[in-house]
Amino acid sequence: MSTLEDLKDESGEEVETMTAAEVLRKLEEAWLNEKFAEDLLEAKTDLVECMMEQISEMEDNISRAKKGDFKVSIHRLEIDRIRYVLSSYLRSRLLKIEKFATHLLEEEKVRKDDEPSKLSPEEFTFAKDYDKSLESHLRNLALRHMPAHIQSLDPKQIAVRPNLDKYVFLRVNEDTEGVLVEEETLDTGEEIVDMKRGDQHIMRYRPVAPLVASGAVSLI
Amino acid sequence: MDPAEVEFLAEKELITVVPKFSFDRIYLIGGDIGPFSAGLPIDVPLWLAVNLKQRQKCRIRPPEWMDREKLQGKKQEEMDSKFFIEMPNQHYMEITQLLLKYAPDDIPHADEMRTLIKDLWDLRMAKLRSSIDTFVRSDATHAKLNHLTLMELNTVRLFLTNSLDQLYVLRSNLSGKVQATQE
Repeated sequence: MSTLEDLKDESGEEVETMTAAEVLRKLEEAWLNEKFAEDLLEAKTDLVECMMEQISEMEDNISRAKKGDFKVSIHRLEIDRIRYVLSSYLRSRLLKIEKFATHLLEEEKVRKDDEPSKLSPEEFTFAKDYDKSLESHLRNLALRHMPAHIQSLDPKQIAVRPNLDKYVFLRVNEDTEGVLVEEETLDTGEEIVDMKRGDQHIMRYRPVAPLVASGAVSLI
Repeated sequence: MDPAEVEFLAEKELITVVPKFSFDRIYLIGGDIGPFSAGLPIDVPLWLAVNLKQRQKCRIRPPEWMDREKLQGKKQEEMDSKFFIEMPNQHYMEITQLLLKYAPDDIPHADEMRTLIKDLWDLRMAKLRSSIDTFVRSDATHAKLNHLTLMELNTVRLFLTNSLDQLYVLRSNLSGKVQATQE
């Protein structure tokens, strides 16, 4: 590859060098995870920015190329494909942000400084604006016409929260032993599954959510 | 997920083409391809193969598994086995569809291939439906789905996940857990 990008890895400490092809692969994985996960995953801002740069660099090169150059159409085709992944990724995040705006802002409030935020700065602004408009909409439309003593609105009570118990399909990337799939209840014992690389499962999202975040499994 | 998106993912699979032109290496973001020399087989992603074929710039070599004997063997194996057998490719259905649509003249016995793949698909979907029935009746909380391809999973995705979500709610209500996070 002609271009190399420095990117922080997930822990945010070590700096590793990835080729553009690897960044693209990671972005595609993040896209599918985001698509199938019920809650909002951590924003992969680095990957998105790196790909945007790659695209605009490539577009510069294309504009300098001779007219009718054979490779231009191929580069265009690739850019279109990458742009589809990028926008589908960002769009599925926006959908979730709109759905869970109040909930996400609550989480953001109690987040400790050393924890990474799930929202990128732009997404955070969007969530705040959206939440504010929604609240004022509810007030203007209905609440102000209500009797005075029931005019209060508790964001905690109306917040839509992700249902983490939804079922998902997943593929295992790294051997993981002893995943607690079902907690012990009165009539059933606890259930533990050993996951082998390459296995595919269907199960509830909650037990595997940390594994999705760490990359040990991918949602499919 | 939209089936078109599953096809989009399948288009990343590599396929061998025989170019009718010569050209330098092309530095794509997703990795380099080329150099191309006329008549020399080379592996490219399926999306590029289809594009070149549409512009009549290459012939496509059908993948090795797209072969009468091999597919008939797979079909027999699938019929004999209680479980799902491993398919020669994670995207066998989409690749077949695309190749038969855009390059039927490059696939020997194209009609026969179409029928064989369709037979395999039908066999597997019937198996999938009956396993879902057993799974839901068995009260199990999770299942292993090895060897099922993405397109196959995708056709039952909404139906299966939604039913299991409902079952989970019913089960939790029985065991007295309060569902606080229902939408």
